[in-house]
Order: sequence, then structure tokens, then C-alpha cells
Amino acid sequence: MSAAANSRRQVLERIRAATPNSAGTAEQGASAWNALPRGYTRVGAMTADARIQRMMERLREYDAEVTECAPDELPAAISAQLAASGRLKFVAPPGTPPAWMVTAAWQIAGLEWNIDQCDAGHGLTTEEIEQAEGVVTAAFCGVADSGTIVLHHSATEGRRVLTLLPDWHLCILHSSQVVETLPEYFARCQQPPALVTWISGPSATADIEMTRIKGVHGPRFLNVILVRDLGDNKIQQ
Amino acid sequence: MSRGRANAAGGGHPVLDPALAPPFPVAALPVLRNSQLRKNVAHATDVIQAKRARVVAEKDDWQALRNAGAAIRDHVLENLGAYLEQFEERCTAAGGTVHWAADAAGARSIILEILRQEKAAEVIKIKTMTSAEIQLNPFLEAAGVKVFETDLAEIILQLGEEEPSHIVAPALHVNRSQVREIFARRMGLKDLSDDPQALTAAARNYLRRKFLDIPTAISGANFLIAETGSVAVVESEGNGRMCLTLPRALITLAGIEKVVPRFQDLEVMLQVLARSATGERMNPYTSLWTGVTPGDGPQRFHVVLLDNGRSGILARKTERQTLRCIRCAACMNACPVYRQTGGHAYGSVYPGPIGAILTPQLMQMHHAQSLPFASSLCGACYEVCPVKINIPEVLLELRSQVVNQERRQALRFFDPMYVGLRVANLLFSRAWLFHAAQRLGRIGLGFFTRGDGWIHSLPSVGAKWTQTRDLRGLPSQPFHAWWAERGRKPMKEAK
Repeated sequence: MSAAANSRRQVLERIRAATPNSAGTAEQGASAWNALPRGYTRVGAMTADARIQRMMERLREYDAEVTECAPDELPAAISAQLAASGRLKFVAPPGTPPAWMVTAAWQIAGLEWNIDQCDAGHGLTTEEIEQAEGVVTAAFCGVADSGTIVLHHSATEGRRVLTLLPDWHLCILHSSQVVETLPEYFARCQQPPALVTWISGPSATADIEMTRIKGVHGPRFLNVILVRDLGDNKIQQ
Repeated sequence: MSRGRANAAGGGHPVLDPALAPPFPVAALPVLRNSQLRKNVAHATDVIQAKRARVVAEKDDWQALRNAGAAIRDHVLENLGAYLEQFEERCTAAGGTVHWAADAAGARSIILEILRQEKAAEVIKIKTMTSAEIQLNPFLEAAGVKVFETDLAEIILQLGEEEPSHIVAPALHVNRSQVREIFARRMGLKDLSDDPQALTAAARNYLRRKFLDIPTAISGANFLIAETGSVAVVESEGNGRMCLTLPRALITLAGIEKVVPRFQDLEVMLQVLARSATGERMNPYTSLWTGVTPGDGPQRFHVVLLDNGRSGILARKTERQTLRCIRCAACMNACPVYRQTGGHAYGSVYPGPIGAILTPQLMQMHHAQSLPFASSLCGACYEVCPVKINIPEVLLELRSQVVNQERRQALRFFDPMYVGLRVANLLFSRAWLFHAAQRLGRIGLGFFTRGDGWIHSLPSVGAKWTQTRDLRGLPSQPFHAWWAERGRKPMKEAK
């Protein structure tokens, strides 16, 4: 028996000896898993409006910049954000709706869009992404309770590296995507996703005297546009 | 590994190998004399504790989350073999390779073998306490592999040749001016200021090229998900995302207890972990990946499952709960002992209350036997633990094991403490002997009792007590005599 197979057998034997009441397989343990106590809050009780307010408030506490718009105002809102950033070189995932890009390209002189056509085999190189000044993506979900944005890295959310190297990330989140509690996000995952990044504010550290410093290695700036698509298009002032 | 130079911990270099470290009371002494270090530790733990209290208070369902967290972890431990095999099967199906290591030496050689296959002369690393447990860095350096730590705290330690003193903020004992000194010296930045913003920027510049150029990474794991074969890493800075995304090959080292049954279980774990660890509602970044994803991230992925004493802990009834731990460090921030001594006195990469129970058990109770005694049993650690590990209960169990081991040794037979305990055992078992001893004691101690009713100094072994505190003299009438007399007197007098 090889050394590798041997240590596998040794570890598993020790574990089995230590747990005589263990289920034979994970499938056989399913009923015990189903019976675990889960008395915590699964579904929140907030109104849609309060939930969105909470999401924005918590994002801002992390130093993220948040603006709101109605669905038909989105292209103009993106353009305004890009212009205000003072940056010109942007990357975007392959599934980005063209409408998100054309208004800005038309309004801002010198603006450059680089689309990461990774699905067609023409993905940007790491160096090209590193040279970009910003990135614009969609998201899978927002969790109001912790101000968390969840990416599943689909065609509109981009490969993981795309939202990592550029220093400025503009994330488009629709209010229909915002849930109140973390368990509500998990309930929205019919199938567990293969890739997830949970983002709560810009990159930060508190390693020096517990002082929170923005921007160590990830994007230093996180901007969010909340699109009011829940029928309630009135934007709260 | 002795480097023989002074560092921020003061005095000699702290030893974090439990087999070589001095006992806790000896190791704690130089720290207690180092007021700068104590100030740094007190400041950092105060700040985290206040933040934690705030974000925990706003969760109405906090106790229910703790109960669920403890139940999920217990369920995993009870069925650990089944869940590990499921993890292995699913991770392999998704393109990963799973290795099993019975001990530290096994894990080290598996990792080195993979690095040789990758022809890696350099490797970037995410903070992992498990790699410190198996002393991976010195081993790799000796084998000619250059290791670059990428977590800010780990860079401070690596460049400053310091040792970790906390499992979440390993450089918490180092203050900003000490960080400035280390970075200025090792990065050649003479004009660096001690503003944390500038120090952080220096670390970003130092590492940026390394992230882009070094194609091999090592990480730990916060959670392994059996149902999907996925791995999750919880972090703040983005150095984790860099290491998990940019390299061509990734090696993840994880203790066997890190598994959770399903993806959905993260709805509990992620809610309690960041709040307990850093006092944030959620840490800036959590990454989850499943084997290998074509076109996204490392295309060769290895998981090394490490036992190294964990299965031995699993076999013990009271101690098994130690393995529920999700490494949040809330127990050390809350511990009145840790807050005075910092982490180095514990002689292990796992300090504080969880270290005091984990370290001796990982060493099969052969080393670190002073650690179960490094506690006042106040229970603050139990109260803050997000998975409800009853640390005082385990401490007491380990103390009794240490004592039972010791008193069987012939040499200990004449140890004054054990002689005293045997005498006490005899006296407490017979009433007449007990009363006689009390009478003798009253006469004997009477010589030392001052007019105020207190004993201020005792000779010989008694001095060990009176050097630091006074002792109340014995009352003129013992309780049992008062009780017997009380029955004979009218009630109002007995009041």
C-alpha cells in the first residue's frame, strides 16, 4: 500500500474508532442534519423600503459610496459615476448589457471599455486587468443585515480576477436582489454555486493597532448603484 | 529557530513550539515586565471587544445562532469520517486533489512534494495558523523554497522576525512605531511615517508584483463543505483573493475538523464568525471555490487534510468540544489572563483560552501541561464563544489529567503540595481528626495572628501566601461548635 493510501486509511480509522455512533455516509446523516436546531431568524420582517434603506446605510458604514436610480435612469447613473471617478480605463464582464456602456462612452471623452471576452477565448490578460482603473459589474444578491454584496461570478458579474485588481469597483445592484437576512440569500441558492465572493465594503485591514485602513490589496473604492426595480421607483431623499 | 535577538516581546525570542517552550508562569514573567507590550495588547483587545459587543447586541437571535453553530459543529464531529469522505469525493469530482496527513511531518512532505512538481522556488501564502502549527515556513525555507506571507500582520512578523501572538491579529503586540521601524529597515524605506495608512500602502507596494508574478500559493481554510467539495476562506485585506485567484497552482492546508455538512450551514457560520473575530457585521471578503473552474483561478488545486492529534481529541467525551472551534479568537480578547500576558507566554501558535485547551491535547498531554492552569476559570471565554465551547469545563478535565499523571510519579510523592493534599484528604475524611487539626491550627496560627485579626507574615512555605496577600486568622470558635451551641440557646440570641 502506498504511503498516501496508508495515511488516508490511518486517519479515517482513528476517526471511525473515535466516533462509534457515526453515520456510515453523509447521506445517512441527512435526517440528523435536518433535525438540527435552527431557531435563528430565517426570514426578515422589514418592508421592502426599510430593507433597501438598511442595505444602503450598512454599505455606507463600510465606506462604500451608494447612489440610487430608477431602472430607466441606470445608463445615465453609470455614466455620472464613471465621470465623477475621474478615471477613463474600465473593464467589464462579457455579459454586461451594452446599454450600461454606451451612454458613458458617448458622454465621457477618452473613456475606454475593455470587455473580458473570456467565454469566447479572448479573455483579458492579468496585466490588462491590472492596468484598468475601474470595473463595472452586476451582482447576484445583496444582504441588508450586513451590507454584503454577493457575486456568483456569472457572465454579468465577471471572473474573480476582474473585480479584484482594478482599484475602483462599481457594482449595479437591483432592489429586487436585496434580501434582509443572510439565510434569505442561502434560500435563493437553489443549487450551491461553485464560486462565490461575499464583499462587505472595500478591502480593509485593522492589523496595525486595530485602526481600520481602507484598501490593502483589493479595490480601495467600492461604489454601488441601487436600481429601484420593485415597482416603487420613488427615490427617497 | 532561535534567532537570539531582542524583539518587541522584550527579552529573548518567544518559543512557540510546545515541546520546547518553558512553562506558562516562567514564560509570562518577561512579558509582565514589558509595559509597552502590555499596553499594545490591552489597547487592541479593548478595541475588538467593544466592537464585538456592539454588533452582537444588535442581533436579537444571537443565542439561537450560537446554539445552531454548536449543534452543526457537534453533528459534524459525530459524523466526521462520513463528511470527510464526502468532501474528498466531491472535491475530486470538481478537479481538486485531496491528500491526507496523519501528522505534521506528513503534511510538510506532501506540500513540499507538490511544490517540487510545480517547480516552485517561491510561494505566496495566506495567513494560516495550521501552517504555523506544523512549522511549515522554516521547513520550506530549509528546503530552498522562499515563502512570502501576504497578510499584513504576517508580513510584520516575517520581516520583523517576530512570532504570532493572536490567531486573528497575529501582530497585535506590535504598535505602529515598531511596524514603521521594521518596514523602514526591511523594505529600505527611510522616510516612511508611522501613519497606519502609509504603512499599509507600503505593504501593498511591497506585495503587488509578487501577487502577479509568483504562480504558486498556499492557503488555509475556514470551512470545507462536504456536500459540494468547496472550500471557504474568510479575510479582510484581499491578499486572500489574490492568492486564491492569480496563481496557477493552489495548495490548501486544513485541519480535518474544518468540514461543515452543507453550503447552507455557512448561513450560521458566517454570521457568527466575523462578529466574534473582528467585531464587524461581515468581514470585507469571503471567498468560496470548488475544485478547479476552467478560465477562473488556479488550474491545479490540492487540499491537504491534517489530523496531527485531532482524532485523539475526538475520542474524548468532554474534550471533543474543543474541535468545534472556528478560530475567531473572541476567547482570547475576553480572557483576563491573556489580556495581561499576550500570546507568547502560551508557548504555542494557539494562545489564550482555546490555546490552553487545544495545545496540550494536540501534544497528547506530553507537553504544555502548565497551560490548563493558566486560567482563573472565570468563564468569560465560554460566554463569548460563538460555538459554545465550555472552555472552563475542558480546562478542569485537563487539570485533573495532569494531576493524575503527576501524582503517579515517584518523584512527586514527597512534593509538599502532594504531601499536603494527602494529609488534607485524611483530615477531611474523619470528623475527630478534623476537629483536632482545627484546635492545633488555632494554637499554631495564634502565634502569627496580629491584633487586627489578620496574619501578615508566615514562615517557610506559608510565606508563599503572605508575600502577596494577608490571611485571615482562624476565628476563636469554629462553625460546627457555633452550630451545636446555637441549638441550646434561645432563638433571639442565636440571631
